[in-house]
Amino acid sequence: MSLRHNLRTLARGAIRPPENDSAFLLDPHRRAVPTERMARYDDTYPVDMAIVGAGAGGATLAQRLARKGWKVVVLESGPFWDPDVDWVSDEAGSHKLYWTAPRVTGGQDPVELGKNNSGHGVGGSMVHYAGYCPRFHPSDFEVRTRDGVGEDWPISYWDLKAHYERLELELPVAGDRWPWGDPHRYPHTAHPVAGGAELAREGARKLGIEMRVGPVGITNGAFGNRPHCIYRGFCLQGCKVNAKASPLVTHIPDAIEHGAEFRANCMVTRVEIDESSGRVTGVRYVNEGRERFQRADVVVVAGYSIETPRLLLNSTSARFPHGLANQNDQVGRCVMVQGAPQVAGRFPQEMRMYKAPPPEISSEQFYETDPRRGFARGFSIQTVGPLPIEWAQHVQAEGHWGPALREYARDYNHWYTLGILSELLPLPENRVTVTRDFEDEYGLPVARMDYTQCENDRKNIAYAKQTLHDIFDAADAQDVLVIDRYAHLVGGCRMGSDPERSVVRADHRAWEVPNLFIADGSVMPTQGSANPALTIMALSSRLAQLLHEKRIAAEREPLGGARRQKVGSRGS
Amino acid sequence: MPRDFSQALHLPNLRGDGQPASPEELPRQRNGVTPQMHGRYPDYNVLDEADHWDEATRRLVMKRVEEVPPIRFFTADEAMTLGIFCDLVMAQDREPRIPVLNMVDAKLFAGELDGFVFAGMPDDCETWRRVARGLDASARQHGSKDFVHASAETQCAIIDSFSKGELHGEVWDEMSPKRAWSVVMRAVLSAFYSHPWAWNEIGFGGPAYPRGYARFGIGQRESWEGAPAFEQDPVKDVEPGAKGPIEDLGR
Repeated sequence: MSLRHNLRTLARGAIRPPENDSAFLLDPHRRAVPTERMARYDDTYPVDMAIVGAGAGGATLAQRLARKGWKVVVLESGPFWDPDVDWVSDEAGSHKLYWTAPRVTGGQDPVELGKNNSGHGVGGSMVHYAGYCPRFHPSDFEVRTRDGVGEDWPISYWDLKAHYERLELELPVAGDRWPWGDPHRYPHTAHPVAGGAELAREGARKLGIEMRVGPVGITNGAFGNRPHCIYRGFCLQGCKVNAKASPLVTHIPDAIEHGAEFRANCMVTRVEIDESSGRVTGVRYVNEGRERFQRADVVVVAGYSIETPRLLLNSTSARFPHGLANQNDQVGRCVMVQGAPQVAGRFPQEMRMYKAPPPEISSEQFYETDPRRGFARGFSIQTVGPLPIEWAQHVQAEGHWGPALREYARDYNHWYTLGILSELLPLPENRVTVTRDFEDEYGLPVARMDYTQCENDRKNIAYAKQTLHDIFDAADAQDVLVIDRYAHLVGGCRMGSDPERSVVRADHRAWEVPNLFIADGSVMPTQGSANPALTIMALSSRLAQLLHEKRIAAEREPLGGARRQKVGSRGS
Repeated sequence: MPRDFSQALHLPNLRGDGQPASPEELPRQRNGVTPQMHGRYPDYNVLDEADHWDEATRRLVMKRVEEVPPIRFFTADEAMTLGIFCDLVMAQDREPRIPVLNMVDAKLFAGELDGFVFAGMPDDCETWRRVARGLDASARQHGSKDFVHASAETQCAIIDSFSKGELHGEVWDEMSPKRAWSVVMRAVLSAFYSHPWAWNEIGFGGPAYPRGYARFGIGQRESWEGAPAFEQDPVKDVEPGAKGPIEDLGR
């Protein structure tokens, strides 16, 4: 960080992130992002970059490059949200935040999709994530070398560290000093925690397990025009307060201010390619029933681990008969989820776990491999605060129905819930393909995701569940209920150093197409046991830096003549 | 006998027979409505707080209470079968009932699906129809004419087998009962526990924007949140007036 920035910070008496004014560009009197001054590019204008998807990956990249003078259009299939009008403090009423077009889920351990792990609309799935923002550990980037499983990344933790730090200021992240992985601190202090978290932490302490508060991307103190969290507990239904970080409030206002366009309700159906040069020329998309085509010098796909592979697989051509950038049959492979069982404990006192943000305390003490546990890699422990519908599903998962289900549900206020994130390993047969079993409203084949756990995965989940059981026993819980589930979604178009085992290079550029990039969670070769949002943003932040500094070869060969000259020289 | 909720002796897992204590031992709801008027928080009505909710939330939640959607997706026969099914899985044995099937029907009619289908399963709309046929098929295996005419005991036995994925024959050989159970229960629970009457029953504080929550220590409550009550009130609990609101809905 520059001396000038430090001085400015001192003068203001508060940390303000460098080169991102998003929190200050929001309107203090309404929650919607001001779009009155947003640029509108014509379809025929060859923008510098078209990004597919306005989530953690796409929006962060757009903000960074718009700041450097790039003309960027972001095409988002869902709406541009107005939190005041569109979002509600209600579980069932938040259905529209998810990707609800048909998809097929298969394999021996099929993953529930939809609300569990997808987003739809400007801001992406971070609009309804819980808010946890842990960094990956340095070990995550070299699990093959260290532990003999998974895959090494072509980059290291140290390539991302500066971007993690910058993003933690931008979100901003609140939490205790963090002792795990690469030890670090957070810009905002830890939030207060609910009574249940105190009990769970005490139970853990008796077993020698340390739990800390955070890290969450939720303001703890006023931040620009974003208010303090009011602990209403509906983080997973979209934050109506603008206290919880999502690209909608952390990066999109600044991107708009610097000339990026976010074009909502635009479903990209195809990435077009020039058959003779092998370069992509832009994206075909449908807006209000009309098919359109946006020209672009560079196309970035940022649709997350299911829609990104699906778009590439649906973009067939003479040159790429099996889907764009898929000559080595790698697109869609090694898609991953985290094992996310939840264990609830019952206490004599009332806990009322619907209050306060669902993310409260967490532990990464079991993150790394411990040979005594009998499996490679590990898991993290986090609190979760199920609201009534999710709580009822938790009860039902134990086989209860009828009067027993009603009684447990009625007992809601006495329960507290801990969750697990188990690192499950990348497996080539866990993959996204496309199928005509169902069609979406555009008549396109839908995605099918197949998922089957390996032996290491099962051991990891079983051990983690037992650990939560032990914590609740140590906390003197009177009864315990368990639900098996999954969380998050990464991989599917992973980065690597071998084109036969990956889809993109370390710089996110497709091996097979010189001006096609992927910038979302799908590029991750492994997932650690950390929530992926912060790392997806950090990867995009790094990619923007590489592009701006022109450290990526061959990506800016001119398509359309002299206009290209000035692009690289803009910004500063 | 009055119950003490600090003890967990009412919970199925802690009782020899795996069945919960009877909800009839609870007080009757005295303020607002709960399904069947079981009143664990008898003086708490989340709808009393509706003026404190933001406009978008209030409109949505009040519509849920005030408008029971008509059955448009299911046929009359399907609705009869599935209505009994929904009552049994949610233990709604008398009025006032949360209109679970109507809420599910509205969602299916509007095509509001959840964004995924298990491989080998039809879409959720077709799954529901097949479940209706499957319940009848299973009832016939028990010697009844159909599910509607089966004894309560048989109906419960079928549902119990369904919950364990152990139904066979006819429809059940064409789709996994385990997956079908997961599809229908996801919809049933989403309907039931999205209803403010269920929030009253479980003591959920409900929507809290813009005012938020501030008291979240062990045993703490906001001033407007309801206290649990153990003692039945011998006078108020027998008042028939408790049935009121459901009649306004024309059920």
